[in-house]
Amino acid sequence: MRATEGELQTLMIGGLNGDATAQRALLRALAPVLRAFFERRVHSDAEGIEDLVQDSLIAIHTRRATYDPARPFTAWAYAVARYKMVDHFRRRKQTVPLDDFAEILSVASFEAASGAQIDVARLLEALPSKQAAAIRATRIDGLSVAEAAERAGISESDVKISIHRGLKTLAARVGV
Amino acid sequence: MRPTTDMLIDTLVLDVPPVRAGAVERRVLAGLAIGAVLVCIVIFATLGVRPDLAQAVHRPTIWMKWGYTASLGAIALYALLRLARPERRGLGMLWTFVVPVVLLGVVAAVDMARTPPAAMPHLWFGHSWRHCSMLVLALSLPIFGGFLWAIRALAPTRLRLAGAMAGLSAGGFAATLYGFACQETSALFVLTWYSLGIVAPMLIGSIIGPRVLRW
Repeated sequence: MRATEGELQTLMIGGLNGDATAQRALLRALAPVLRAFFERRVHSDAEGIEDLVQDSLIAIHTRRATYDPARPFTAWAYAVARYKMVDHFRRRKQTVPLDDFAEILSVASFEAASGAQIDVARLLEALPSKQAAAIRATRIDGLSVAEAAERAGISESDVKISIHRGLKTLAARVGV
Repeated sequence: MRPTTDMLIDTLVLDVPPVRAGAVERRVLAGLAIGAVLVCIVIFATLGVRPDLAQAVHRPTIWMKWGYTASLGAIALYALLRLARPERRGLGMLWTFVVPVVLLGVVAAVDMARTPPAAMPHLWFGHSWRHCSMLVLALSLPIFGGFLWAIRALAPTRLRLAGAMAGLSAGGFAATLYGFACQETSALFVLTWYSLGIVAPMLIGSIIGPRVLRW
């Protein structure tokens, strides 16, 4: 049973007042919410996702003074989570493991090399701007397809097609 | 619930100090205050307060200078307080920077219209143009450092902009304190050389922000 914004906000304010029980309940309630958030946006194994969840919980706890009780709580918490997610991509030097191309690549040599990393940012420069923007939004900025569609002012299927075509082009460039 | 996350949460909630309202503001203002005190000490010890300060405050010029620099510092400070929190909120208020610049520009234009060509270079360069901007930049550093110290404990998500606003605010307030020592009176001089010294730390902040403010 997922906690509501009101319940989470009440717990958060309790924690801000020094109530450790409320703070514990808050963090416990947030963990599955964060997990779902990252699972939709980050293509990583369960351990990588859990690392992100833990990083976010630490940040939410240690930086809680930056939450303004007059404003929505989940917006604040998601802002922290999104920052940690972008930082996750950045720390991996804006690269994407090659197994993210797995949906269009089935060549054995690439599967063997799937531990290698490619500088996606450089590769994106070769794409038409719509495809590059769609890939950048979903793979690097960590937006969902819906958010990327809203940002670009196009439909969700348009985003998905752009990503698919862009990845196909990149795969060809990388030399499949 | 994964067990390691469970344990992490139990560890985190061992320390749940109460957070008073206005914690962000207090932290940032503390950074400003510490830096400003250092700047005052440096000004006293090196440049010295201008000897005619008691008379100068009865004339409008020093208030014009203080008004210009302090309003830049204050607007940037307001932006910085917003940037210290993680949510992406609108920063449309940044357009208000235009107001002090335009006002000072009008005064400078009126000055220039009333100044004979032979006296124009002095109106623009004054006595101290060579070191004014550098001094403002140098004096901004302690306040800039104070802001960075404060922000690093908070949750900025737009690091370049946060660094820039920290630098701009530090420059504005440092220039205000510098106004206690500097005896230039021309609005054109202030608009040029003070602004240069105020913009320099802003550029530095925009460059080092993404490196220094990460959390």
